[in-house]
Amino acid sequence: MSNGNLKVGRVLRASTRGFVIGCRVMTPNIPAFGSFVRADGLTPQGTIYGLIYDVSVEDDPFVRQFISADPPDEVVLDQRENRQIPIEVSVLAVGCGDDGAISHCLPAQPPVTLDWLYQCNAEQVRAFTARFGYFRLVLEAREVPADELLAASLRAGAACRPERERETFLVKAGRELARLLAGDPVRLEGLLRRLQNEGAI
Amino acid sequence: MTLELSRLTKQVQVMGKKLASRQQQYADLVTLARRWLTQYADQGEQLRHPARSIHAAIPTGEPLDTIRSLPATPERFTFIAADGSQIQPNRHGAALYHLINVGSLVYRHGSGQTPEQHSQPTLGYAESDLYENGRLVDGNLLDVRRDLAEITCLADLCAAEPTGNSQTVAVVDGTLILWTLDERAQDRQRTKVTAYLDQLNRIRETGAAVAAFISRPRRTEVTRLLYLASLEGDANRAAQEPNPLERLPDRAVFEMLPPGARSALFVSPSEINHKYYVAEGHNIHFFYLNLAPEDCDPVIARIELPAWAAEDADRLALIHAGIVAQARIAGDYPYALARADELAFISGPERETLDEMVTTALLHAGVRTALSPKAYYKTLTRRGRRSHRL
Repeated sequence: MSNGNLKVGRVLRASTRGFVIGCRVMTPNIPAFGSFVRADGLTPQGTIYGLIYDVSVEDDPFVRQFISADPPDEVVLDQRENRQIPIEVSVLAVGCGDDGAISHCLPAQPPVTLDWLYQCNAEQVRAFTARFGYFRLVLEAREVPADELLAASLRAGAACRPERERETFLVKAGRELARLLAGDPVRLEGLLRRLQNEGAI
Repeated sequence: MTLELSRLTKQVQVMGKKLASRQQQYADLVTLARRWLTQYADQGEQLRHPARSIHAAIPTGEPLDTIRSLPATPERFTFIAADGSQIQPNRHGAALYHLINVGSLVYRHGSGQTPEQHSQPTLGYAESDLYENGRLVDGNLLDVRRDLAEITCLADLCAAEPTGNSQTVAVVDGTLILWTLDERAQDRQRTKVTAYLDQLNRIRETGAAVAAFISRPRRTEVTRLLYLASLEGDANRAAQEPNPLERLPDRAVFEMLPPGARSALFVSPSEINHKYYVAEGHNIHFFYLNLAPEDCDPVIARIELPAWAAEDADRLALIHAGIVAQARIAGDYPYALARADELAFISGPERETLDEMVTTALLHAGVRTALSPKAYYKTLTRRGRRSHRL
């Protein structure tokens, strides 16, 4: 399943609700907040889908020395490329797949330590966001900035579609959100506003 | 944990007061030493011979109170640093072995390039690695092997530099004088020092400059020289009468150096230096250097360098400016040396993992191993928690 796609990093720790991966260097290719990613499941054709909800850069006392020191380029490159300052990417599990069939549910088993995590390509994002079952998993996740994350995932889903289909996609997503958050109009309004502010709707 | 910190409270308080009361005495000695430095500044030539006999710093042609300000830093130059660490053989462990790990960094100033980092671990486990003339290689014997590995690493990296790159400074942490404390047999001492000098020769041939960096030095060779000067160079009296400056480190005298400036050059009085280094043209010189930037408290380091670098104005200036430039990247310690130390450092968990790897390898080879009873019980008692977290 994981053929020819961008590797984000390897799994450090995992549970069925989500996992954390480590990478060495932040590059423009490292997916951002709200990006769809996937890891291999434990079955041969299995896939676990997730949404990146946090990217954190660790530090150490040596790096802190240079904060106010205006270090030369060589030092900046050394700190970024040679010293393995860990970057940790936290992922919320939002679905799993088996031989192409996608389910919006928590995986039966999490990925294991040192499994690769890949960025989903446009086709995979379109396939995953063809339905909105994962909304509930995101809205109910307590450890993540759920509304921001959902809005970011919808922007990512829209961006992977042809321009003429984007509005339809977002309107459908808005209707699903209205149904799920019927009892919480304030939250619904905030979420829709986030999408509007970014020009998604 | 069984160290009863509460029982140390009183002792620590007394210690604090005692140390504070020494400060005034210390300041008076510094004043005296600096007065002598100025007063006897031009007597270097008369002091040269007696200085060596009492292990005092040996003056060179520069007046004793020389202050050389920071030379211009080249726009582009290469700074190579190496440092080593070791795991001592543990006779209570699952197997007897030692490890030497040398870390190094090649930093090209002004290039905008990522520095090159290297880490070279070497495991010693064969009989020939572990024993020298029937003695287990540990303590100073292992230190000597680590020092040799460090200087060899520097020589290799200098040799790998593009031909004709004379703007290269190679620096080790510590001293350039191989301390073979445990070596009583002259021929074995000679063999080891010769191996070290061979590497210095290799560095010299590449056109690079080499130096050793000593942070917060505690040597008292210059203060001993000043005392000798105050006795008009009478080495007999200097050896017999109490020296008021005996415990005053040289660095205290040179805290008056302006930022970036160096002291006069001196020659090391070390016996090994004169016995082996001088004949090969590596007579070890040293100077003190204030690394601190403007408006900061002085930070004095001792820099050692061989004669062929000390007597070459360009190499000497490159060492002086290069070390200050490196130190000012992070504050007051050469950046590349800090990184080399980091690359060489072997952490506690890494030691444990290596031990596990060795045990596993032995099991695969059909050898059952075990910790000694003493080591086993230490693993039980030292990992428990018997008090509140500090």
